[in-house]
Amino acid sequence: MSLVLDNLTKRFGQVTALDGISFTVKPGEVFGFLGGNGAGKTTTMRIILDILRADEGSATWNGQPTDQAPRRTWGYLPEERGLYPRMEVLEQLVFLGDLYKVPRREGARRAREWLDRFQIADYANRRAEELSKGNQQKIQFIAAVLHEPPVLLMDEPFVGLDPVNVALLKEAFLEMRNRGATIVFSTHQMEMVEELCETVVLIDRGRVVLGGSVREVRRSTGRQVIRLAVDGDTQLAWLADVPGVRVVRPGQDYAELDVEQSVDPETVLRAALDRGKRVTQFLIDDPSIEDIFIEKVGRRPTEEQHLVGAGTGAGSAPA
Amino acid sequence: MKLDRGNVIAVARREYLARGRTRTFKWSTILLMVVGVAAALSPLIFRYIDQGAGQTTIEVSVGQSKPGVDAVASLSAVLNAGPSGAAGGTGGAGTGAGAGTPSTPKFRVVGTEDVAAARARVVAGESDGLFVLARATPDADLTFDFISKHVTRDRIVQTVYQAASTIATQDRLATRGIPPAEQPALFAPPAYSVTPADPNAAPNLGDQVDANSAIGFVLAILLFLAIVLYGQWIAYSVAEEKSSRVMELILGAATPFELLAGKVVGVGALAMTQYLLVAAGAVVAMVFQDQIAAAIFGGAAAGVALPSGLSIPLLLAFGGFFILGFALFASLYAGAAALVSRTEDINQIVAPMTLIASAGYLVAVYTTTGLLDANSLPVQILSYVPFFSPYLMVSRVGAGLATPLEALVALAILAITVPFALWLAARFYAAGVLMYGQRPSLRLMLRVLRGAR
Repeated sequence: MSLVLDNLTKRFGQVTALDGISFTVKPGEVFGFLGGNGAGKTTTMRIILDILRADEGSATWNGQPTDQAPRRTWGYLPEERGLYPRMEVLEQLVFLGDLYKVPRREGARRAREWLDRFQIADYANRRAEELSKGNQQKIQFIAAVLHEPPVLLMDEPFVGLDPVNVALLKEAFLEMRNRGATIVFSTHQMEMVEELCETVVLIDRGRVVLGGSVREVRRSTGRQVIRLAVDGDTQLAWLADVPGVRVVRPGQDYAELDVEQSVDPETVLRAALDRGKRVTQFLIDDPSIEDIFIEKVGRRPTEEQHLVGAGTGAGSAPA
Repeated sequence: MKLDRGNVIAVARREYLARGRTRTFKWSTILLMVVGVAAALSPLIFRYIDQGAGQTTIEVSVGQSKPGVDAVASLSAVLNAGPSGAAGGTGGAGTGAGAGTPSTPKFRVVGTEDVAAARARVVAGESDGLFVLARATPDADLTFDFISKHVTRDRIVQTVYQAASTIATQDRLATRGIPPAEQPALFAPPAYSVTPADPNAAPNLGDQVDANSAIGFVLAILLFLAIVLYGQWIAYSVAEEKSSRVMELILGAATPFELLAGKVVGVGALAMTQYLLVAAGAVVAMVFQDQIAAAIFGGAAAGVALPSGLSIPLLLAFGGFFILGFALFASLYAGAAALVSRTEDINQIVAPMTLIASAGYLVAVYTTTGLLDANSLPVQILSYVPFFSPYLMVSRVGAGLATPLEALVALAILAITVPFALWLAARFYAAGVLMYGQRPSLRLMLRVLRGAR
């Protein structure tokens, strides 16, 4: 009962999109699928769904090639969001459920339940194009889960949502997991990863850079970070005199410092006290997933606007 | 390939309802129905327009010309003989005055002595024309002058000219001693018949072939219109799915083949609905033409027969070729549309298909109008080729030049081609999701054909 990718390779002409991707998603876990733009996340998901074919390697679910598993195995929220612009919301959900073998009446019941829960019950008979992007995204989420699939593949499910909607979606997410679904999702919001995921894999330029449980990954660098706040001093200019310590994220409340492996974090605390500073916060932690992302990929996990408004069609290269 | 029929039905159902609910569909259906009914009733409409013109007054001045016939009666007879008399050409029209004339004749013809006063009345609009007869010498031919406000392109001018010819001919005969009463016999049509050399061989010779060719002609036009019009619908449907990016979502739920098959069925069913609505309207109007005519013009009007030559086998062949021909072209329209990212680019990408459809249509039209020999070998061969058979076989069956067996063979070939076209289109559709923003080049298309996904 697991999703196994083995040496997946995919080329588009001269471009190698996937270069031997291998990882395993254990059943029932929330799996963070991380990578920069164009790293190959969408291509990997499309191969699992049999929208694309791999040039080499295999993807299996419970030992069976994924392209032979019934389509209702998967609940898919594509990166390129889209609904039928002129179709009513409820009708659209019933139609998509129908394709996944949910009887129409049952589909309508479930759709209403979800709409209610996402606080958009009033939109059931509105046309999709009349909805805001955030609300369209919630509809798309419902479309992916309506048939209660054992595996959810979600490409950037939280992008572009306000905090209230993120909370609603997160709750739904965890409920799906509690019902036993396996959830693979990609995101550029790293705090979401630390909050939701048990396991992550980070890919870059079509290769797996690192993977494992969130805890393992954070410890894997061997480095530590210090969160430091000093009363009446936000500049922390004196840190320049402490060797092996670097301010990575200055801030008004506190600063985050990167400490080389050979340096004992306590030297920082001592240095502060020696200078007569009043330390209000001192915390030793593993590097965040975001820091690791930057270190491995060499750039920030920027949040790209993937949402395409219904009815428009801006072009983009396959990612 | 596993085909999930439930998915095909679900997609077809969505397609039918979503498109059927659009304002475009509703209005185009209403508009086409109006056009269909109008076409069916066109003879009545023309009659009604003619009638609305009111009575036309023509004054006749014979002066000193002393014509051998009653010019006033002759002119009145020709003018009021109706469209058939007016178009009928020579002599015969001058006879039976008043035959088929409505209770109020359209033309009132009166004699006049005072040419100048009559002319003034024409100028003032009190009368519509002045017909002046003259003769230079007692032995000379009659000359005619028609004084009218409209000197060109007027139906009255043409009709009056015909009347003048008739009067001149009658006058010449009378001058040569043949009294008016004997003249009709001179213009009676001779007995004439055509006999086939082998009476058992060609039952379709004669008038029947012409009637049937006309039917084949009309059916080819209907087929062409349906394929191009409804093929565009499917192309739009696919391109819309792509531009709204919903394509990837449904590709996760069903196979491209199922999606396309459902689309063809759904749009096809809707097309058929519109087509039947329009046809039903036209047929009802045709059947009740008598009653409608009676209601408008009063009294009982003569019925108009449905076109002869519309036989059950022909209608069956038409139905079969309509459905399969539509499925073939619709599949390819859909596949082509999957290659473009914006609805604006559709026309460009479907142009080759429209060209093929036009070619088949033109050949069919040329054969039915006799410009091409419908029995020639190239036409016979083409009538089995899938892209052309819908047009050519229907027109050949219509003309009685192909046996039902031949039609069935062509239908079978077409039926085999349709799944292949769907499969081909499905490949394009499957690849289409990757082709956002790419110009559909020949190389790209070849790559897709090799199954690149």
